[in-house]
Amino acid sequence: MSVSVGRAKGAGAKIIRYRGVVKRYGDFQALAGVDLDVHAGEVVCLIGPSGSGKSTLLRCTNGLESIEGGDIEFEGALLPKDERALRAVRTRMGMVFQSFELFPHLTAHENVAEGPRTVLRVKLTEADRRAAAMLAKVGLAEKAPNYPSALSGGQQQRVAIARALAMEPDVMLFDEPTSALDPETIGEVLNVMKALADEGMTMVVVTHEMTFARRVGDWVAVFDAGRIVEQGPPRQIFDAPTTERTRDFLGHLGWTG
Amino acid sequence: MTFDWSVVWQHRGELFAATGTTILLTVATMAIAVPCGIVVAALRLYAWAPVRVTATAYVELFRNLPLILVVFWAFYVLPILIGVGLSPLATGLAALALNVTAYNAETFRAGLNSIRRGQVEAAMALGMSRTQALRRVVVPQALRRVLPVLASTWVSLFKDTSLVSVIAVTELAYVAMQIRAQTFRVLEMLTAMAAIYWLLGYPQAKLVDWIQRRYAVTE
Repeated sequence: MSVSVGRAKGAGAKIIRYRGVVKRYGDFQALAGVDLDVHAGEVVCLIGPSGSGKSTLLRCTNGLESIEGGDIEFEGALLPKDERALRAVRTRMGMVFQSFELFPHLTAHENVAEGPRTVLRVKLTEADRRAAAMLAKVGLAEKAPNYPSALSGGQQQRVAIARALAMEPDVMLFDEPTSALDPETIGEVLNVMKALADEGMTMVVVTHEMTFARRVGDWVAVFDAGRIVEQGPPRQIFDAPTTERTRDFLGHLGWTG
Repeated sequence: MTFDWSVVWQHRGELFAATGTTILLTVATMAIAVPCGIVVAALRLYAWAPVRVTATAYVELFRNLPLILVVFWAFYVLPILIGVGLSPLATGLAALALNVTAYNAETFRAGLNSIRRGQVEAAMALGMSRTQALRRVVVPQALRRVLPVLASTWVSLFKDTSLVSVIAVTELAYVAMQIRAQTFRVLEMLTAMAAIYWLLGYPQAKLVDWIQRRYAVTE
């Protein structure tokens, strides 16, 4: 397929396949037929103006939103409609939210251990081991006993990443992970994400961080009004965009290449 | 005008026992009304529509009736409805529990509603079922948030138990009034009754303040 041409890691199996995905909220068409492939080990960045449908597509990926048309395939099977089967799929997709959504009544350690304990039903010692390991991985081992309210925004988001990783997912979905952060803490979160990408984690990232999309992304999809107006490797999107919409969007951001 | 405070001392045994009944009524009412309140709130929010309507009707009925009317109703009508005569204490407890459960249900409903949708989504994104998300994420946070309100309800209830004196439950208000009627020591007995309620109520109110500080969830 044409969308695979020029993909650096395109040899990897397709982990997520979107075909003609349609999502409506009443009369508003949030997604108007989206085609996109995510290959194993790839970082796919979804960019575009607010309300263009990129977050909606991400939320459809793990079934937080249902779709009205088209197909979403995950690891070779259609996303199940059945609640129980859908839950099983969700355990293999980590999700990171714009507003962190850490559980405020639990410590950082408990937040990270919660998924393995409650959902995967691993032994307590195993959940603790995973929580400690994942907090260390995001550089927050010493914050384990702290409640989220005692952490900075950047630290909370790193704990949220650790919480998702503790499930040992195949894919990580990031929904504008740095949009709610103070400028000085954005870097620490992006560094954690970059390190994950370097380890070969498959990632779908909705972002307004163009520098991240360009440096870390393997594939970039530009959204506008519920459609992908252009997709390709970052070099194409940022240096030689082929559509007027992409040029407009990057121009508005003051992107100069 | 002369006062005879010895009357209070003479009747200390009865007053002490009556105070015990007042505390028992408060504790027993809350012991029923907290779990029942959670269930009614959950039914109002998540149950099948007809059940939801019934739960709502119950709450709106008992929340908007004067408690003293419910007490009389429980005394005269409840035995006919359930076909068993209850002791005044059990009747008073039933009336208080019906009333406070309705209030607690509203408190819990507000608490459950106050938890952001994103919290449930984060739980579900981890693979939790709706029930797990409720049990592990929503309810623990909601409980913390409503604890101060529950504590205030507790303090109100402690004083409102005096209303069941109208059906001759031998709690503090009833017994104090009885002694007053027998001894004609109105001012002494009312003062003694006020002192007992206040001395027991004030530390509870302080405890409420402490709970509010201790369990405030900061985000």
